[in-house]
Amino acid sequence: MARALHWWWGILLAFTLVALSRLVLPLPFITEVLIFSIYTIGCSFLLGRVGFISFGQPAYLAAGAYGTAFYLFYFGSNPYIGVLMGVLSGLAVSGLVGPLFVRLRSDYFALVNLALAVIIFYLMQKVLAGITKGDNGLWFLTNIASTPVLDIASPNGFFVFALIAAVAVWALYKYLDDTLFGACCLATKTNEDKLEFLGYSNYAIRLAAFIIANTTTALAGALYAVYLGFVSPEITSPARAADPVVVTILGGTGTLYGPLVGAVVYTGMKDVISKLIGNWELFIGFLLVFIMLAGEKGIWGTLQPRLARLLFRHRGSAGTTRDERPTR
Amino acid sequence: MPASAAPAPDSALVSVRGLNTAYGESKVLFDVALRVSDAQIVACVGRNGAGKTTLLKSIAGFLKPQSGSIVFNGASLVGRKPYDVARMGLKYVPQDKRVFSDLTVRENLELGSYATRDYDWGRVIDYFPKLKQLMDRKAGYLSGGERQMLMIGRALLGRPKVLLIDEPTEGLAPSIVSHLKSVFGEIGKSSALIIVEQNLPLVCAIADKIYALKEGRIVAELAGREAMRPDVCEGFL
Amino acid sequence: MDAQLLLSGVIFGLSVGSIYFLMAIGLSLCFGLMRVISLDQLLYYSFGAYVTYSLSLASGSLWLGLLGGVIVAGLISFAVERFVFRRIYERELTFSMITSFGILIGGIGVIKAVWGVVPRPVPVPTLAQVDVLGTGVPVYRLAIVAIAILVYAGIWLFLNRTITGKAIRAGIEDVEHVEGLGINVSRLFTLTFIIAGTLSGLAGALHAPLIMVDPHMGLEVLAFAFMVVIIGGLGSIKGTLVSALIVGQVVSLGSLIYAPLAQMAPFAIMMLILLVKPTGLYGSPLLKK
Repeated sequence: MARALHWWWGILLAFTLVALSRLVLPLPFITEVLIFSIYTIGCSFLLGRVGFISFGQPAYLAAGAYGTAFYLFYFGSNPYIGVLMGVLSGLAVSGLVGPLFVRLRSDYFALVNLALAVIIFYLMQKVLAGITKGDNGLWFLTNIASTPVLDIASPNGFFVFALIAAVAVWALYKYLDDTLFGACCLATKTNEDKLEFLGYSNYAIRLAAFIIANTTTALAGALYAVYLGFVSPEITSPARAADPVVVTILGGTGTLYGPLVGAVVYTGMKDVISKLIGNWELFIGFLLVFIMLAGEKGIWGTLQPRLARLLFRHRGSAGTTRDERPTR
Repeated sequence: MPASAAPAPDSALVSVRGLNTAYGESKVLFDVALRVSDAQIVACVGRNGAGKTTLLKSIAGFLKPQSGSIVFNGASLVGRKPYDVARMGLKYVPQDKRVFSDLTVRENLELGSYATRDYDWGRVIDYFPKLKQLMDRKAGYLSGGERQMLMIGRALLGRPKVLLIDEPTEGLAPSIVSHLKSVFGEIGKSSALIIVEQNLPLVCAIADKIYALKEGRIVAELAGREAMRPDVCEGFL
Repeated sequence: MDAQLLLSGVIFGLSVGSIYFLMAIGLSLCFGLMRVISLDQLLYYSFGAYVTYSLSLASGSLWLGLLGGVIVAGLISFAVERFVFRRIYERELTFSMITSFGILIGGIGVIKAVWGVVPRPVPVPTLAQVDVLGTGVPVYRLAIVAIAILVYAGIWLFLNRTITGKAIRAGIEDVEHVEGLGINVSRLFTLTFIIAGTLSGLAGALHAPLIMVDPHMGLEVLAFAFMVVIIGGLGSIKGTLVSALIVGQVVSLGSLIYAPLAQMAPFAIMMLILLVKPTGLYGSPLLKK
């Protein structure tokens, strides 16, 4: 029991804080943060653990969003199934392109993902406009039926659902980190050859990581769809490719809570900065450069080791938690 | 070849002291010291992974040492960029016989001349007559021996005071090795050479001094006919 | 499809391909020599376009505007090299990708601040058409192709007949080795970066009259520019030329056949080529970093 608590305490603490913030922060803000952090954790995982950056995360976001949208617009009204459809779509897309993408070198990988996002944008906007209604988007808010026990058609109910989903996702990634798979991912980043010599396949590990990460991203897309009740191609436009990258770096690449911290800061800043200077890109672009040149640790990446030392100092142990970014 | 007299400490051309170098987290060189005088041929021998290349690269500026001093002609080399070091007259000839394959032999030499402003290729041809016929051939099509000749010939431009040569005879036919042996002897009359090699008979024949490097540490410094024999060297590795 | 339509399609494709070519050389060179992914090249493209817009509006001459656009792009790229890239050459590829992406995004912000968000049209210098084999072909598009050919010739001469160019080619193979010869590679890097920035600026300047300038134009072209580079193989000038030609023709002729798919065709081609050669047509199987 104690061991289970020890494993879970970080996640429970983090999301209890999020839940409590409901008392002071507006609901739309926290819901957005939750979904956004789920969106980002896939990207962060890929970059921090496997060493690949993708500039095309909107592609998988869209896969999830449109998967859910198609179901809720054309077929049914159960939002849970809608979300499931979104996740399955993400699984399908990443399973389809994964085998090719993960063979590529890191720079090609980043850019083919971007190309994929552009293609999907174009597909949704023009080519399949018949079923996607192009730029007008698919509206299905009214289609969503109320669900028993937890009515995710309502804002509060949805918030609880998103919270549970986030906890589940975090548990998944923490679990992965702790397993052999997690160690292998790290190994593919730092020393491929040794891993092959040990008998593991870099390719298989990368592919698995890719699919997991992007299915998570698709889940975020599905959640967005149900939350907004509306999906349009804008969700996958190239201009949005920056979001998950920035949040990943801002929060702290490869750390478990980085995406959450990053999402909070990013979404918060966006509101504030937009009101103050109005030129969001200027700010975020140079912030990104600044963070990279200043050590690329990000907010949580810098705070976390210090917190760990503070918290664990009295225990006398070195206090390196699983979340510390591996040395390059 | 007569061994040169032991140099007084301050007349050393290149003086390395307390050199510690690491690749990221793993330390490769531990407190290495060596001394080379004008027109002296010094060899550094050791097994694979002993740190020989790391040593040469540290001296030439390609690797930043964690600590220690490297003094060349009175000036400190630590922290200088490799092209700076090369311009000062200390040139590094890497292993693996890498030349610029897409460029012709002539163009390879042109690059060597460009930085040093030494266009006296006659000297280079004197040492390596074969290069004259190969001038317009793309360096990628040269044989191993020809590449080595090109690399050394190119490094000679600018009349460097010191040449650091990394495993020159590896994989070469005996006839070429013996050609190189006489070339080194000739070069060694006017420039200092630090040669890293695994070919013990070669270095024992031409070196004035041999350092044995084992697991990143200098374990022996041999001079004199008696000490510089392959079996003696072997014993230290 | 009749011959006239085909011919204008080919010319159109050549002009589009020329723009991609100019963009792609910069990206390829930066990677080949310095091993960085310079996404900020798309920013110099944008600045080239915008300065051309402003100057040509102010002076009434597109060619003057073009000159200004190219110069400004070159200057900005010099500044970025000096203050940012010089610190990051040693780092792994993802580092330069993310950092240059930040510069691109930040630069878009600057453009928004200076010129506003509304797309602006740029006047074409000449609407004249020339009769080629019975079809009216816009002179401007031919001019673009001519300029691209000149640039290719210039680059070829530079890389093959000048000592600095040879040093760059040698550096693409083995930078450490070039350094060991006593050649100042810092200056070589700076020069190459400025060349790349200037060419990207030229691409933007030339492209401006054909499209409207808008702050996000860099992002819109980003995917295509990189598809060209990836198909050709990062680091190869010849590959870039071939690839740009192919992509230009595919986009142009493809849109004559079936418009919606034309934009997606380069992507499909890229996937196919990567399946067979993961480093592109002429890309070298470089060390993974």
